Amino acid sequence: MRGLFLAALLLPLAAQAAEQSSDKTLIERGKYLARAADCVACHSIEGGAEYAGGLPLVSPFGTIYGTNITPDKEHGIGHYSAEEFYRAVTQGERRDGGKLYPAMPYTSYHLLKREDSDAIYAYLMSLDPIAKPSPKTDLAFPFNVRFGMTFWNMLYKNRVQLEPADGKGEEWQRGQYLVEVLGHCGECHTPRNALGALQQDLRMSGGVILGYEAPSLLAKDLAERGWTTDDLATFLKHGISDQGSVFNEMYPVLHHSTQYLPLDDHRAMATYLLGEQPPAPRSIKAVAESELGESAARGRQDYLNLCAGCHEAAGKGVPHVAVAMDGNTTLRLADSRNLLRVIDDGIREQQFTGFERMQPMPGFRDKLDDGQMRDLLNYLRQTWGGLETEVTPERVAELRGEAPSH
Amino acid sequence: MAKRALSMNLNGQVVGPFTVDDDLMMIEFLHEYLNLTGSRLGCGQGICHACVAILDKPDGTSEEIRTCITGAHFFDGKKVRTIEGHAKRDAKGEVSELNPIQQKFIDQFAFQCSYCTPGYVNAATVLVEKLQRQPVKRSELEGEIENALGNHICRCTGYVRYYNAAREVVEGLGLVKEG
Ligand code: FES
Ligand code: FES
Repeated sequence: MRGLFLAALLLPLAAQAAEQSSDKTLIERGKYLARAADCVACHSIEGGAEYAGGLPLVSPFGTIYGTNITPDKEHGIGHYSAEEFYRAVTQGERRDGGKLYPAMPYTSYHLLKREDSDAIYAYLMSLDPIAKPSPKTDLAFPFNVRFGMTFWNMLYKNRVQLEPADGKGEEWQRGQYLVEVLGHCGECHTPRNALGALQQDLRMSGGVILGYEAPSLLAKDLAERGWTTDDLATFLKHGISDQGSVFNEMYPVLHHSTQYLPLDDHRAMATYLLGEQPPAPRSIKAVAESELGESAARGRQDYLNLCAGCHEAAGKGVPHVAVAMDGNTTLRLADSRNLLRVIDDGIREQQFTGFERMQPMPGFRDKLDDGQMRDLLNYLRQTWGGLETEVTPERVAELRGEAPSH
Repeated sequence: MAKRALSMNLNGQVVGPFTVDDDLMMIEFLHEYLNLTGSRLGCGQGICHACVAILDKPDGTSEEIRTCITGAHFFDGKKVRTIEGHAKRDAKGEVSELNPIQQKFIDQFAFQCSYCTPGYVNAATVLVEKLQRQPVKRSELEGEIENALGNHICRCTGYVRYYNAAREVVEGLGLVKEG
């Protein structure tokens, strides 16, 4: 009798325990997926509570704010069901039927697996609710009319179509899902049209965001800039590799997202991007001083005066201080945009995973006039970039005149 | 490494032309060619600001420059001041009077080992010269001092006294307006 009673008591407990542990597994998986999707980057502000919203996203159409996605009932997603959450994430539709702006990358997430959405939902719901209202989005007409989004969505909502995975290995397929869907890499690395929609035919061929180029991630272009599968995986894990370090918008991506993924994921992403048979990386032999063009030869002295103290005269860089110029991927970009912008704006001190860090790079806007900037760009690009064409004075003036919108 | 001619106006005197390596850093030029060893090499990486000299720009403004990461040729044809240029000297070239900043740093016991001091003196000089062109509101004084000195590292941790001294110099010279 007593045994029976005990059994009756124990059974629900065991079931409960099993349920709890499966909840825990689901939440853990959700946490991993939320990181892979980098939700925190847009849904938090520096120093603010994670997922409580507030990050301003400056777009050409106005400012959009990342919303509170903690389980708070009033300001967050506390009232959302898993189904409603899935609709919001994949279709851009709020619980009340309103439309989300495509700053929320549902154009990529529309391919998110339902079970992954449910796991992210379970994870977000397990967080502490934070009663913080989301700032009001401020867009110019006609983009401030959310109804307009219905029209936009008809055109662009489900545009990300993946390359068929036929015949591809498991690693490639996982990489594809991580890169294209969860990581939504294409949202930055693809040019946008006048209505702010991704140009699918130019997918992953590079885009411009806040004045900087998110470079092409097409295999041939990556190889042209010296990337191998191993280096790309290292870059995603540590934010730094032989090709240089993450900066600008990619820096938070490393910090909130890619550094937390398991090594297998980095490999998978690199395998997807470079392909199962990656093209051979182009290697460049630094061009000798005597072979430089006139402008580059002048630029060499500017380099020695202002850059070599940290990047070293022969471009070898200094460990833990400044990255090498020799082998640097940014110098090899056909457009001089990023190189110019980095020299003008500088880079904040950078902390990478492990013990690696880089010291702040000052901006040289006030030290170099347009002519000197052009000379320096030509020197860097010719010496270590393998680029023969010269940057024109017009391009320098144009880039410098284009105030970065942040 | 190729060499090229280099001359500049240093502490009010023209020096050079010297034939100097293309990639020589300014601090080495000061030490090795001019025997001016007052600029200190600390980190050698642009962080500690021990090595700063003052660049006088044609528009009459002055600016701090880290000499450990700036090539000597950057200063070709320009006007530069180092710590050796601040005090008054008598006919024999001996120091006869410190400038107000140097004096105040001493009065306040601002430094201990003094390794960082030349950098601080130059930074505070640039600050004073800026405020001479445009006095600062009292409410903004602390921010200005922080901007001017905040990047300098003192391994003996003389920060509070350096800041106090800088504040007193600025006030003593009447460069603070109410508001
Ligand atoms: S020695 Fe120049 S900044 Fe440290
Ligand atoms: S007094 Fe010693 S480092 Fe500043």
